[in-house]
Amino acid sequence: MTERVQPSGGLVGSGLVKRYSRGAETVSALAGVDLRVDAGEFVALVGPSGSGKSTLLALLCGWETADEGELRYLGPLGDRRPDTFGWRDLALVPQALGLVTDLSLADNVLLPARLRGTAGSEEPRARALLADFGLAHLADRYPHQASLGEQQRVAVARALLLRPAVLLADEPTAHQDRGHADGLLDAVVEAARGGAAVLIATHDELAWARADRVLSMRDGVVTEGAPS
Amino acid sequence: MRALVSRPALWRLAPWTRAPLLGLRQPAAVLAVLVTSAILACAVASAPLFLSSARSAALQQQLAAECAEAGWGHTGFGVPLLDQNGDPTGLPTPGPADDAALADAWAQVGDRSSPVMLSGTAVVRDAGGVELSLPAAVFYRPGALEQVRWVDRADGSGVALPASYATSAGIDVGDTITMAGRPVPVVGVYTDLFAYQPSAFWCDYRPLYANDASANTPPPALVLATDEAVFFDVAASTNAIVLRREVPLRAADTSVTEATAMVDRQAQAQAAATAATDLPTAAEDPETRLADAIDRAELVESGLRGPVVPVAVAGALLALVLVAAAGSFWADRRATEVRLLAARGVGPVPLAGKAALELGLPALAGAAVGWAGARLLTSGLGPADDLDPAATSAAVVAAVAAFVVGLGAAAAVAGLRARGTAERPLGAAPRWPSQVPWELALLLGAGWCWLLLQTRDAVVSTGGVAQVNGLLVAFPLLAIAGAAMLLGRLLTALLPRLRRWAGRRPPAVFLAVNRLAAARLATATLLVAVTLPVAVLSYTATLTASAEQTLDAKVGVQIGATRALQTLSRFTPTPGIDAVGTFVVRYDGSVAARDGEGDSSGRRDVQVLAVDPADFAGTAFWDDSFADVPLPELMAALTGPTVDGRLPVVAAGVPAGNPDLRVGSTEVPAEVVATARVLPGRRVDAPLVLVAADRLPEIERTAGAARAAEIWTDGPLGPAAEALSAAGGVGFRALEPAGVQQSANFLGITWTFGYLSALAVFVGVIAVGGLLLYLEARSRSRVSGYVMARRLGLGRGAHLRSLLVELGGVAVTGLLLGAVLAGGAVALVYRRLDVDLIRPPTPLLDVPWTALAVSAVVVVVVAGLAALYAQRAADRADPATVLRQDA
Repeated sequence: MTERVQPSGGLVGSGLVKRYSRGAETVSALAGVDLRVDAGEFVALVGPSGSGKSTLLALLCGWETADEGELRYLGPLGDRRPDTFGWRDLALVPQALGLVTDLSLADNVLLPARLRGTAGSEEPRARALLADFGLAHLADRYPHQASLGEQQRVAVARALLLRPAVLLADEPTAHQDRGHADGLLDAVVEAARGGAAVLIATHDELAWARADRVLSMRDGVVTEGAPS
Repeated sequence: MRALVSRPALWRLAPWTRAPLLGLRQPAAVLAVLVTSAILACAVASAPLFLSSARSAALQQQLAAECAEAGWGHTGFGVPLLDQNGDPTGLPTPGPADDAALADAWAQVGDRSSPVMLSGTAVVRDAGGVELSLPAAVFYRPGALEQVRWVDRADGSGVALPASYATSAGIDVGDTITMAGRPVPVVGVYTDLFAYQPSAFWCDYRPLYANDASANTPPPALVLATDEAVFFDVAASTNAIVLRREVPLRAADTSVTEATAMVDRQAQAQAAATAATDLPTAAEDPETRLADAIDRAELVESGLRGPVVPVAVAGALLALVLVAAAGSFWADRRATEVRLLAARGVGPVPLAGKAALELGLPALAGAAVGWAGARLLTSGLGPADDLDPAATSAAVVAAVAAFVVGLGAAAAVAGLRARGTAERPLGAAPRWPSQVPWELALLLGAGWCWLLLQTRDAVVSTGGVAQVNGLLVAFPLLAIAGAAMLLGRLLTALLPRLRRWAGRRPPAVFLAVNRLAAARLATATLLVAVTLPVAVLSYTATLTASAEQTLDAKVGVQIGATRALQTLSRFTPTPGIDAVGTFVVRYDGSVAARDGEGDSSGRRDVQVLAVDPADFAGTAFWDDSFADVPLPELMAALTGPTVDGRLPVVAAGVPAGNPDLRVGSTEVPAEVVATARVLPGRRVDAPLVLVAADRLPEIERTAGAARAAEIWTDGPLGPAAEALSAAGGVGFRALEPAGVQQSANFLGITWTFGYLSALAVFVGVIAVGGLLLYLEARSRSRVSGYVMARRLGLGRGAHLRSLLVELGGVAVTGLLLGAVLAGGAVALVYRRLDVDLIRPPTPLLDVPWTALAVSAVVVVVVAGLAALYAQRAADRADPATVLRQDA
């Protein structure tokens, strides 16, 4: 059954530019990106390494600011800056996963709820997510006692726990076998069907196939459709 | 067929050839190795420096307690010219040539000397040719005439007489008297030196003018010659001549090496002078006090070596652990490259070699810094800042050894850890060595030391110098270290259970507890690192304070107050005496002995002090442990009503009731109405009885009570001496702490615990270093977790609170554990630390609360600063960079 997520109107970016200095050289990680992700839509962002995908996700979640262009969130999030969003507004799975190494896998999944003071009510969902992702038997382990794939599934479970309005994920299936990748994508699709705006950066062709739309990215520019 | 391809040796590949430069790219690891190497070098270099410092201080403090001349170089001749029958001995009469020979001999060894000359006794006749009843001795020392109080003086050559001598003989300035048959003009009359406290110029010559021992024959009158010619003219006709040459040495800042050199030069100068004169070797009269002081200083040092060397080794081992941890930290920081190399089959030895090459320069710099630090610390905080050159060289050798061993340990750990990290499977159970409670071995060692201590003295005395038994140092160190580690292990074992409790607490507590629980070994190490210095510092500070208080109390009890003057002359106390202290008259007495304790007549000697109850308590030394009631209350008992006509007295060592008291042979009906364990003024091993002076019957001279009048004072002796003289007292003896207690005898005790205190502070520094390594080693995961947790909804304040709970919790727990362990160790040991078994009181306990409170505040402040440091590092992290780097 599809669960209702936080109301979202999606996001729109136009002409987004982000430059970095690398010594004397200036590198344009984003060279005028236009994109739109609507609520209830699952969009896959594909492109080679170094094309700017991670930079774009960092910019969308508020960790980076654009040098040029405009980024707008729609609907209830429209009047706020992304760096002020809570986990229910925007959840993400960063490339480095960002698990808290001192917490067990179960506590990592439940942490967003604990910090909101709703750990008690969210614990069954956390347990269900762990079970769905094949992690129930590892719940008490620390991240360093789990494989990278297992850690990645924990990061996705944590992102999904509070049913966020926007979900951003950087290579969420990169370290998964086919079966677990399917499970993760099922959960992501379910989140989108529940009303979330979902954007994942991925090299995984199966993810392209499951996405509502595919955006290609190369040299800091986004184009509609899968790469040829 | 496989082609034979020669592969270059690992050492010739870039990861090794470029290692010294690659290491510099990891500033945190460089800093960690530099600092930890410095701590290690400081630990090992401090031992020889401290021992040298203690040796110098032992010498300096001995000499400081004596007249300045005790530490000078002296050569000379003492020549008897007449034997006991007044017949010539046949020895050559020393003259100016002999004095010149002494001066030349000193000049040959590079020293400038000045003369001191004393004649034997001379019969003196006044201007009318009448022989005076008291003989005189002629004394010459440059500057002497400027160091007396003149009654009358004239110009010209001649002699100056003491005023009492001149007055009693009716001699005035301008008269010509005859000394040993030689006419000599009187050019001055000066105030007798025993009548006041003369300047330090006369300190070493007090026996020439003061009859401190109240001998029947007082010293001859001290006649001062205005010049050498007058001296030789008179002295040649007396029964002896002492010629000396002295070379000053500043005792306040001399080392044993310098003092030994002075003694060596003195021996050379004496031999040269003897060779240059006709005087026999038997007439040589060199000084031996400096040599004796050197011997005693070396005894103090040898006594210290027993406890100090093991303590230094313990400190060095702790520091070595820290250096090894720095090696592990390097393996963390270089994890990417090291794992790659390990994955390609590079073994732990080449990896350790790479670590050694990368860390060599910082370790060398650290060792140099550590040596310099030890030198500075010893100079600044040690017993004395005058070190022997040999000690400095030994410290250099120790620092080099620390560099080699430290680098080896860091490299070995780095190599093993790097290889182990690469090969260790996920979720593997802890290795068995980490499960074994090795600390039980320390506790067993402590128990063994304790058992041995039961059959041995805690404080031993060698050559009159008190030394701490090494077991008294080893026992608490082993017990505290073992108990701290065991408690650390047990407490951290409870952390997983605490996690469940923390799950119901606010996020700050939840995160803090989980961080501690996730790194149990690091938490236990940190806990022990806090507990150890707190416990050792509390233990040593308490024992040092207690030993010093006990020593002060023993001196205070012995003298009766801070200082005292004693005289055999009889006079009535005056308001002037009351103004400077309290007046006490001491008598020998006796009481009826209990069964088996007395002499053949069934009596036991006591000392009776007749005191003024009105002001005695205000001046007398007192510690509340001496009696169950305060001293004023005991004094009040002296003024109470008689008991069946008997005088109320207060006693220590005599039970309550009628003691059948006699003062000398005079019976004094008395009743012991109050008792104390110890009373001030106890100078012999006999009970003490206090009685109100104004109620004590007159004790006749014929009673044989050995009456002595005393002024006890808390101020300087000068005003007391003036008051005593003004009251009519003459010929006093001064009792001062330095004279009563050979302070150098107990230096070994206080310095042993002082060094232990330094070790505790040192361990504290190690703990801070360990804390920083702990924070740095975990900073990457901490920052990554923090950045993500911020996104998840964790506030900055909550994160800072979690750090404060985490580090503050460990600090406070360590403080409590340390205090408990120190308290236990002190309770077991302090009663056995009696530095002087003969004199009361028994060891007192003095807890230095202020010092301990400061230590506690320092620990908490360090924990708070560490939390702020960690928070700052987390705040400065760029989320986009942090969460991309780890992928």
